[in-house]
Amino acid sequence: MKPMTTSFLSAALVLLSVSIAHAQDDCAEYYKFNCERSTDARFHVNGQSRGASVKVGEETELNIIVYRGQDYRISICHDEKVLGGQLAIRLVEKIRVPRAEGGTVTTTEDVLDENGKPTGTTQEVRTTDRKQVYDEIEKVLWDNTANDMASEIEFSCTATKRIAVEVNAPGPAEEKKKRTEAGMDIGCVGILIEHMPTPDLGF
Amino acid sequence: MKSRILYLSLCSALAACGGADTVDKAPALVIGGEDAGASPASLYQMPTPNELFSLVKEMAGEGHKRMLNPSSNADRYVTLRARAFNFGVYSTDLVYASCFKLNVEVARYYLTTKKLAESLGITGAFTDNDFVRLEGNLTRGDSLEVISNDGYMAAYAKLQEEAMGPTLAIVLAGGWVESMHLVMRQIEAFGKNEALMTRVAEQKVTLEHLLLLMGAYESDPEVAGLYKELVTIRDIYDQVNVKRVAHEGASTSGRMVLGDDIQMDLTAEKYNELVQAVDRLRAAWTAVEDKTNVSAS
Repeated sequence: MKPMTTSFLSAALVLLSVSIAHAQDDCAEYYKFNCERSTDARFHVNGQSRGASVKVGEETELNIIVYRGQDYRISICHDEKVLGGQLAIRLVEKIRVPRAEGGTVTTTEDVLDENGKPTGTTQEVRTTDRKQVYDEIEKVLWDNTANDMASEIEFSCTATKRIAVEVNAPGPAEEKKKRTEAGMDIGCVGILIEHMPTPDLGF
Repeated sequence: MKSRILYLSLCSALAACGGADTVDKAPALVIGGEDAGASPASLYQMPTPNELFSLVKEMAGEGHKRMLNPSSNADRYVTLRARAFNFGVYSTDLVYASCFKLNVEVARYYLTTKKLAESLGITGAFTDNDFVRLEGNLTRGDSLEVISNDGYMAAYAKLQEEAMGPTLAIVLAGGWVESMHLVMRQIEAFGKNEALMTRVAEQKVTLEHLLLLMGAYESDPEVAGLYKELVTIRDIYDQVNVKRVAHEGASTSGRMVLGDDIQMDLTAEKYNELVQAVDRLRAAWTAVEDKTNVSAS
């Protein structure tokens, strides 16, 4: 009886791990079936919507483009059993900023006479070696921890921008942590993006 | 005994369901806090071309089929990089044709895109069933746009699923170059238009995004040359003055406005440099390959 129980348990574990792996593979389309569409029919699903597997406590970001003249709705859904009740979410603009690099370089050179021969004395020569390099900076545009932990946001876009939707999952509460300790700390997150041309309202 | 079993079952059921005494207090966590990972896992998505074309369509009237890469060239791309790049080109042409309701071209470019998709191993994105659906909807422009865009997104997803990173990078570069080409030709056909020029200027942002996406495969021999050529286009964009100003007032839709307004001063000289650079790159990568001289990858 005992070997049978062991083999049953092993088979169950194999099935469980297969289903977890499968669940992780399936995360790519998680947004399609789990995130709620806007009730405003003018919003269309944006091709940059994406699902991904996210590990508890590790930041994951989805980098997208938002166009000037469009309104967007971004909603985030997730596997609460694994990732916890609420996610920390931020919208961050990524900006490429120029910066002058380099500076003054001082070298010692021989002083030459009128025939181009060294006179035996030296002089300090300062040259400026400057070039433009670019840094990638981030500007936080919205943070749900300052907005009642909202899991969706609607906004108008008046300039084309590179945006990162950043998410971080706290994991389940203490009472449910056994599951996480058993290795189940990766769950699905869906990011549904919808867009419409910014409508003109009013007179 | 029976009632005891019932009680225990009830207790375990309540525990499993997270009963009243197990309040789900999630640990406090903020992004960028000490408990966050040093570098986040980054995923990149490129916008589908229909989003740009629908904005351009508002300003630039009708589409022109002469701007598209001739579908007859499709059989003459031999190397993997040429097939991948031109798959990006043709799928963008398909979306353009459906967006501007060039119905005959939609059918033609659907089949062309399907053929190249198959040669790249992306089966299932452009199917015979969808083609039948497409043919049945040739008089319904909106449906064509949906079917074409679905095909584009399915191909994109398939390349991601199959971890075909370098191929995806080349496909997306082909799509970006063709989008730029089509918008620039639209400006030529429609006449200089400040709003359209601004759209070209704003493509600086999508190019930066594309290069970051491609950066992971920068050293891949199939990607390296194309990456460098795109960097030279970014260098032109870097010479364009960009001014950021805080947005004033509410959006016309009443929604919050996210971030600053951005003004880009794209001069005629810089615009011409961009046109030449994009034309050069497109001409080189859409040129048909001589099958006798090219070793297939």
